[in-house]
Amino acid sequence: MLSIIPTIEDKAIPKPKFSGLSRGTRILRGLSLYIPATVMVLLVLVAIFANLAWLGLPDVGISPYEPNKGHMRDRLLPPAFMEDGKSDYLLGTDRLGRDVLSRVIYGARISLSVSLLVILITAFIGTLLGITAGYIGGRVDGLIMRVVDVALSFPGLILALLLATIIGPGYVTVVVALSVLGWAGYARMVRGESLRIRQSDFVAQARVNGASTLRIMFKHVFPNVLNSLIVIMTLMVGAMILAESMLSYLGIGISAPTPSWGSMVADGRNELDRAWWIAAFPGIAIGLVVMSGNFLGDWIRDKMDPRLRQL
Amino acid sequence: MTRFIIIRLLQAIIAILGIMVLVFFLVRAAGDPMELLKNPNMTEEQFELLKARLGLDKSYAEQFWVYIGDLAQGDLGTSLLKQRPIVDMIGESLPNTLKLTIPSFVIGMTLAVFLGMMAATRRDTFWDQGVKFVAVLGQALPGFWVAIMAMLVLSVYWKLLPVAGMDTPAHYVLPVGTMIFFMLPGMMRLVRSCMLDVLDSEYIKLARIKGLPERTVIWKHAFRNALITPLTTLGLLIPQLVLGAVITETIFNWPGMGRMIVESTFARDFTVVQAITILTAVLVLGVNLLVDISYAYVDPQIRFQRS
Repeated sequence: MLSIIPTIEDKAIPKPKFSGLSRGTRILRGLSLYIPATVMVLLVLVAIFANLAWLGLPDVGISPYEPNKGHMRDRLLPPAFMEDGKSDYLLGTDRLGRDVLSRVIYGARISLSVSLLVILITAFIGTLLGITAGYIGGRVDGLIMRVVDVALSFPGLILALLLATIIGPGYVTVVVALSVLGWAGYARMVRGESLRIRQSDFVAQARVNGASTLRIMFKHVFPNVLNSLIVIMTLMVGAMILAESMLSYLGIGISAPTPSWGSMVADGRNELDRAWWIAAFPGIAIGLVVMSGNFLGDWIRDKMDPRLRQL
Repeated sequence: MTRFIIIRLLQAIIAILGIMVLVFFLVRAAGDPMELLKNPNMTEEQFELLKARLGLDKSYAEQFWVYIGDLAQGDLGTSLLKQRPIVDMIGESLPNTLKLTIPSFVIGMTLAVFLGMMAATRRDTFWDQGVKFVAVLGQALPGFWVAIMAMLVLSVYWKLLPVAGMDTPAHYVLPVGTMIFFMLPGMMRLVRSCMLDVLDSEYIKLARIKGLPERTVIWKHAFRNALITPLTTLGLLIPQLVLGAVITETIFNWPGMGRMIVESTFARDFTVVQAITILTAVLVLGVNLLVDISYAYVDPQIRFQRS
């Protein structure tokens, strides 16, 4: 039937071009992997080697100064590339004479550790509930999915503010606030996958062989969900860093002297008319890292589980 | 259909009750709320008096009944800090939030639909690349930072726009722009991908084979169908809107609900934060209910399958 219908010129959706990618396109595609990958590797290295004291090694590191040490004579100095800048402070100093570069370097630790911790917690809870909902089904599934619906549309920020009111701002508040609703996305994806896997022959086979429900869930369903799970986890790195920065910007994150990118931007807002660099550089760091995380996540998704596109 | 609506309504009410219970115990599980109010200048007597006035001297069970009863009557309680009914405080700040949210929502949605459609119908052209670029930036740059940088350039250096206040239309440009920044990228991408899906369908091919003009195919046949999915995900836009409102109001000192909840958080005024949390839950569940009903109305499959 279809073959008699004349092929029409479909302007909206051109056929994918597999051959003849121009050299420029190929280079661009390469760059869209290598640049983000480099940024992420640098982020991890910077966070680890900001200072080696925490590893029990001598008190040296790539951070030029201590992040909280104020240099009273060098307050509000512009970055080194500007007219009045000093080469001692590459990105300038803030109101208390603290080196902006050192603070950006130490801020990487907060961003990275919060996002990794939250991703591990939420992925764990989400997978557990998702597999349960998808494999057991029925009322359990209905209940879990209703909770997921609410969690996905409830503003996490309000919850974070409620938590901050009750237990006060801090590292734990941020991690809990991001985790309480964050598992829902994983649960929805894992449930969908588990529903599909439940139908497959190897699960039926396992059931015939007398495997228990728990065994099937963890030995048969879970390994088949893992690929998609890793993809979502990498895609979440950027989102979590962004979320952490918003909470720190509002002041419910890590408390005052410890540098985090979000709270640095908040500090800089008050000095906007005379020292733009205090707010500008941490924001650039957030944007660069989040964008790299997203690009890298997209790349891993295309390699490992292209079905998740358009998610 | 009626049965479907009633079931959904009941589910929503149960969910709201569940959230009320959760909030009640969360506030108390983390420690005695009175600890937050302790003040070295207060005598033992004053402290007990305050405790009694807030009803915190009663048992948890009694407190819970009072709390549920008050909420059922629309009484959200009294602010610990300002000693005013929370309903009055919301009455003052909600209109300001709406003045910010409604124009942002209307402009943002129109832009998102327009740009998403342009990108989908002119695939791989300047429009499409532009939309993708904006989406990538929008999902990576922190909104609060973009707003502050816009303020730096437009207000501090060029002195084109005022920094804070809400008297003239010029005062609205930066805050509304910031709000739009929070919701545009996601919605735009969704409209684009839904439109692409629809354009790929058989009935669009048929419409083209019939020789209908491209304009009719896109606006009469494809457009309406492409909007179903974005409409049903409006509920998922609430977190973005709330986030946008809180951040925008904090940056531009806008006297709305967002700033109110942030100020109450730092004052540890838990009755206000608790009240806003519950109101948010009602808003979220209400919108989801409306979306469910309208979806069932549009798509009979849902209606029959579930009831």
